[in-house]
Amino acid sequence: MQPTTRKPRWALSGVARLVVRPEYSSLLILVVMVAVATLLQRNFWSGPSLLLTIDAFGPLILLTMGQAVVLVAGTLDLSCGTALSLYTCILTFVMRTNQPASGVLAILITLAAAVMVGIVNGFAAGYLRVSPVVVTFATSFLWLGIALFLRPTPGGQSVGWFNAFYDFRNVSGLPAAIRSVSSFLPPVLILILLGCVFWYALSRGPMGRYLCAVGGNEESAYRSGINTARVQISAYVINSVFVFLAALFFVGQNQSGDARFGDPFTLRTIAAAVVGGIALTGGRGSIYFAIVGALIIELVNKIIFFANIPYAYGTLVAGAIVIIAIGGSQLYSGYSRRAMTRGRAP
Amino acid sequence: MKILEARGIRKRFGGVVALSDGNLGAQEGRITGLLGANGSGKSTMSKIIAGVYSADAGEVWYNGRVVHYGNPHEARADGIAMVYQNLSLVPNLTVWQNIVLGAEEKTGPFLNNRQAREHARAIVDDLLPGLDVERIVDGLSPGEMQIAEIAKAISKRPRLLILDEPTAALELAQVKSLFLHMRRLAGQGIAIVFTSHRLWEVMEICDDTVVFRNGQTVATLDLEKDGRDPAKIIGYITGETARVAQAAYHRRENRNAAILRVTNLAQGTLLREISFALKKGEILGIGGLAGQGQRELMLALAGFYPDITGHVELDGRRLRLTSPAEAVRNSMLLVPGDRESEGLFLRHSLFSNIVFPKLGVRHYPLLTPFGKFREECRRTVDTLSIRTTGLDVPVRTLSGGNQQKVVVGKWLSFDTRVLLLSDPAKGVDVGAKRDLYDYITRRVREDGMSVILYASDNQELVDYCDRVMIMYEGRVVAILEGESITTDKIIESSMRVDSVREGAGDAAHH
Repeated sequence: MQPTTRKPRWALSGVARLVVRPEYSSLLILVVMVAVATLLQRNFWSGPSLLLTIDAFGPLILLTMGQAVVLVAGTLDLSCGTALSLYTCILTFVMRTNQPASGVLAILITLAAAVMVGIVNGFAAGYLRVSPVVVTFATSFLWLGIALFLRPTPGGQSVGWFNAFYDFRNVSGLPAAIRSVSSFLPPVLILILLGCVFWYALSRGPMGRYLCAVGGNEESAYRSGINTARVQISAYVINSVFVFLAALFFVGQNQSGDARFGDPFTLRTIAAAVVGGIALTGGRGSIYFAIVGALIIELVNKIIFFANIPYAYGTLVAGAIVIIAIGGSQLYSGYSRRAMTRGRAP
Repeated sequence: MKILEARGIRKRFGGVVALSDGNLGAQEGRITGLLGANGSGKSTMSKIIAGVYSADAGEVWYNGRVVHYGNPHEARADGIAMVYQNLSLVPNLTVWQNIVLGAEEKTGPFLNNRQAREHARAIVDDLLPGLDVERIVDGLSPGEMQIAEIAKAISKRPRLLILDEPTAALELAQVKSLFLHMRRLAGQGIAIVFTSHRLWEVMEICDDTVVFRNGQTVATLDLEKDGRDPAKIIGYITGETARVAQAAYHRRENRNAAILRVTNLAQGTLLREISFALKKGEILGIGGLAGQGQRELMLALAGFYPDITGHVELDGRRLRLTSPAEAVRNSMLLVPGDRESEGLFLRHSLFSNIVFPKLGVRHYPLLTPFGKFREECRRTVDTLSIRTTGLDVPVRTLSGGNQQKVVVGKWLSFDTRVLLLSDPAKGVDVGAKRDLYDYITRRVREDGMSVILYASDNQELVDYCDRVMIMYEGRVVAILEGESITTDKIIESSMRVDSVREGAGDAAHH
């Protein structure tokens, strides 16, 4: 059989097809946001300021990437914020400042805990078939409870080299060459790149496809021979790994754990994912665009800060911008879908 | 060689017996046609073989041994692939991704997408040249989706391929191309079971045919030896009992003027150029095979498709079918087919369900006269003989028949000009069905109400309708009147026996 390339009558040209992809509206919004931020903050593009920005934006980016994975699989995670707190508490609970080796142990134990968290969420949602919203809302209190048990007040111990997850420059004993890397490549960016590589490898295997299939139509995926419950568990475990990476960054930055700081992140990750063009109904979206969504959400706050808007109005404006961003991308995706199918014979 | 032999299969769903004595065989290299009216057990039989359901009794021999499949994967592993009536495609993936879904080609741990694309493209090119495998399934036409579904089943290299009404969504040219492919597959020694409602298709493509009626296998024919006689097969499908039709309703010649005039109603592929007139005080039946647009026509008239095209006139006034509320305002009231999801608030009380539509059309700014409503509700319960222990029990606790009466009852106090009944007696017991139709025929005679009745049971059409309109693929293909309303005639028109000859003639040309 000769594979031929043909052009169905409905087809748009290659460029047009690229532009009408629903996610791409978020890129447009990002460009506008960056332009506004550049205007308001004169030194936006200067090296030190950019590094600060990346450090501030990094955690939400990592968490949103994880949220994107569960959203694409047709589920949702409302426990990622408290899970983040839990991991920082476990890390600082295990580590001893005077024993550098305890850092490795803490990482291994926390990673195991993260996998467990993913399995618990995924098992309840995938096998027990409880609504993901209910499951993860409930487990968020579980994680909070355990975190408070381990660390009733913020604090704890951390090994010195953990600072490497935040800034190489503060780590004594590292060769000067590596330490200088931090001035243009902050560790959080490395963590994000690590997440991207992790996802890229996954998406080259069947799992990436299966996540989309289960999120798109669970029944069809099941009939096609996919173990849908296992796919959902995998989604939650992958999500946990991203949350774990964010926890490494936080402990590196603060050298302490806090049972209460993570929760406000939860809903922001969902908003960021939606702004990044990931459908709450599942099956659609890319985790690379989750990064774009997280950048937009963070830039909104930054712009409001630099525009000198009073705090009370600030949150109001932030809310309005998020609604416009989400509404705009929804309208746009509806329009682009119609454009792609227009002219097709019924 | 006989690869499949299913004997004495029984299957119940709750109180409904779907199959009482199902028998079906299939041979390698031959195409077996599966025929029967709606609800005769064809789909149930296919699904038992494919492992979707398990049989209550009877045995399935496959490849020389008795098999009991717990799920479709086990059957698939044994080489049984089924193309489902409701498809198993994932809408957000491309055609080729769907075709290889669950059985992806891999190089090491990674997907080999190039190989998968080529594999999928090769299969699709055979079935429907011109379908781009890179397209997202969401944007395909129903026919293209069906082809993708078939390609998916074929890609698993089955030894037994079950096709459950694969042609329902296809155009004639696509059907012809599918048939060529089926022949080729049969030539490779694959056994094929082919279900279709179109008799001419079975006549053209099948080597054997098995006829189901009321959950039983009533005939197994070798079309080569026994001849391709459509009349005889229709006889098996309808059965002798169907000929004894007793009219419960005395058809009258209706000289009234038309109350509803529909011209060129069209909605995508669901409804095509539908034109008809409904007279005042008439019960107009809609018949045909399942899924030919009857349900959609009812929904369309009730205003569920805002972007519908065509002209609808009610009492000489142009009616815009823009929303259900608009239809209700014009006294065109729908009793929907799926009462559990479209007609009732299952967990709410009988009273709430009956009162609810009133709150929508009238406004009571200060106080809702619940006392008056309860009185009305009590009358409704009496009029329709709804069997209930009180007005405040949740509707979900009533029997199916009484639930259906509630759906009708909520419109009772409305001035009804046109009542749209979408399969009102489906899953309703005999007594409740009689109560329901008694009430409706009384309203028609006494108040001059007009009714459009879609019923999946042809007997109901024969018993209660003044005229019967037959739909096929979204079109009105025949209107039966007076003496010609018999179940036989309805089935003949539904299956388009006249086009059997066309189909045969067409085949002779090639």
